[in-house]
Amino acid sequence: MTREKSARALWLINGLTLLAAIIFLSPVLYSIWMSFQTSDAYYAGGVDFTLRNYEVAVGQYNFARYLLNSVIVSGIVTLLGLSFATMAAFAFARFEFRGGNLMFGAVVATLMIPSHITLIPNYLTLARAGMLDSYAGLILPAISSGFAAFFLRQYIRGIPRALDEAAYMDGATPSKVLWRVIVPISKPAIFSMGLQLFIAEWNNYIWPLVAISESDLFTLQIGLARLYRVNPGEDVIDWPLVMAASTITILPVLLGFVLVERHLVRGITMGAVK
Amino acid sequence: MSSISLRDIRKSYANGPRVLHGVDLDIGDGEFVVIVGPSGCGKSTLLRLIAGLERCEDGEIVIDGRRANELPPQDRNIAMIFQNYALYPHMSVLENIAFGLELRKVPRKTREARAREVAETLQLTPYLDRKPGALSGGQRQRVAMGRAMARDTSTFLMDEPLSNLDNALRNTMRTEIKTIHQQLGATIVFVTHDQTEALSLADRIAVMKDGHLQQFDTPAAIYDRPVNRFVASFLGTPKMNFAPSDAITGWTGRRGVEVGLRPDTLRLHRERPGAASIEARLTLTEMTGSEVVLHCQTQSGVMSAIAHRGQELPAPGDRIWLEYDAAAAHLFDMQSGARV
Repeated sequence: MTREKSARALWLINGLTLLAAIIFLSPVLYSIWMSFQTSDAYYAGGVDFTLRNYEVAVGQYNFARYLLNSVIVSGIVTLLGLSFATMAAFAFARFEFRGGNLMFGAVVATLMIPSHITLIPNYLTLARAGMLDSYAGLILPAISSGFAAFFLRQYIRGIPRALDEAAYMDGATPSKVLWRVIVPISKPAIFSMGLQLFIAEWNNYIWPLVAISESDLFTLQIGLARLYRVNPGEDVIDWPLVMAASTITILPVLLGFVLVERHLVRGITMGAVK
Repeated sequence: MSSISLRDIRKSYANGPRVLHGVDLDIGDGEFVVIVGPSGCGKSTLLRLIAGLERCEDGEIVIDGRRANELPPQDRNIAMIFQNYALYPHMSVLENIAFGLELRKVPRKTREARAREVAETLQLTPYLDRKPGALSGGQRQRVAMGRAMARDTSTFLMDEPLSNLDNALRNTMRTEIKTIHQQLGATIVFVTHDQTEALSLADRIAVMKDGHLQQFDTPAAIYDRPVNRFVASFLGTPKMNFAPSDAITGWTGRRGVEVGLRPDTLRLHRERPGAASIEARLTLTEMTGSEVVLHCQTQSGVMSAIAHRGQELPAPGDRIWLEYDAAAAHLFDMQSGARV
């Protein structure tokens, strides 16, 4: 009886989970399906399979270039952001120094500042430095993440200090302790934070819009937004083309997620428990 | 050569009480010194100061004749074994053992050969590719020891390395540590709260209490001539019996003195054997193997004595007499606890 009940409960849970997954996935699946339709067939309500939307997005609207720019910018932001956040987190978690608590408070305080507030100061600073319309202009404002430093500091505090001490006794310097002991052990948290930084930068729209005017430096989000304005005179937007471009936009992120998924889930679980 | 001298070491933690109140200790080359004391007496802090993991606020630490107060741990060339082993969880057994050599830029082939040699000594060869998470407590303890042994050093610090092991394994590892000490001729400073470990391992024992060094001497000297009541009561199983002098025949004239009698010096009798004896009632017996511990109620409190198993034993509740040897008794001042 109890076994029957629990089997039924399992079926119910699985069914509800499947339903939730379908609801969440349906817009994505619909947009992918739409991206393989011809515009005429889509508006006529028919079905006509084609790859032309992808050819147009890549060939005519330079989406391959935008994809490359997004990969370069998001990749470098993730690498540099993680490096700086890890070093800051290690310092805040392990060393006592004058003003340390105040500095950490300042880092945490940055989490409360809306990103749009920093838009104009960042623009003016980079304009004065002559860095607008460059990769540096896209990357530099994004490489310091207060949240990443805070998150990793909390994680590192959960690692027994005895491991650092054992490494010091083995002859390690503080930087060796960080890169040879702390970082490998913190891999789940670092992967999790890395994916978050990557997605945030990948989806960043406002800053590239403000900082970049040369089309060769456009990222995917800017390119995608420009598709709406391709033919300003026409009322009809070529939705299958937009969906093809959107699919190109989400694929690398999905691929990244699949690659680090195991670490990401462990990272989130660990962060929740600690 | 590896000697350690501690001069007037004082240490307090931020916003906390003082944990060390001027400790002096001279540890000779190749000596096995055990620091023993109850929890919170400052023994681990003292070890961490020698290691360089803590800074002392006063006093001097001299290692191999060189002042080491300002030296970071990585420059002291000392190996340490931690209570919780502190093995690197992402590295294999081989990598754990060889890590110290890698940091000292020993070529890969040389360090791997050295790590394998150490692993062979500690019977860890079948586990070289395993991560610490896949090892038992005893194996982890051996890896921690291997990591220290692989280093080119002759000074080892051990912070209660056996405390997480079961009794059988602890006995085996104790013998292994003693053997390794004899083989390497290294200087070892070993911290424990287990007095059996202290007595069986040490060339000399440092007994600590509340941040003060109570006595630093050979195990025999500490057992036979404890400098105060605390040392007398801390070392020896079962504990030394104490009774006010006016309750024991022979010392009734001496005021303000406590008499200490080791349980193994008391002899059991059914009838009063003479003046040098204490009347008691047997409350319970404890078999420990070849011996039986007798717990007795006397006029001045509970006392323990040891009988051999072959001996005919009284039943709990029976009246007995405990004969003592006046020459083996210890006298302590009741106020200060110091040996009289």
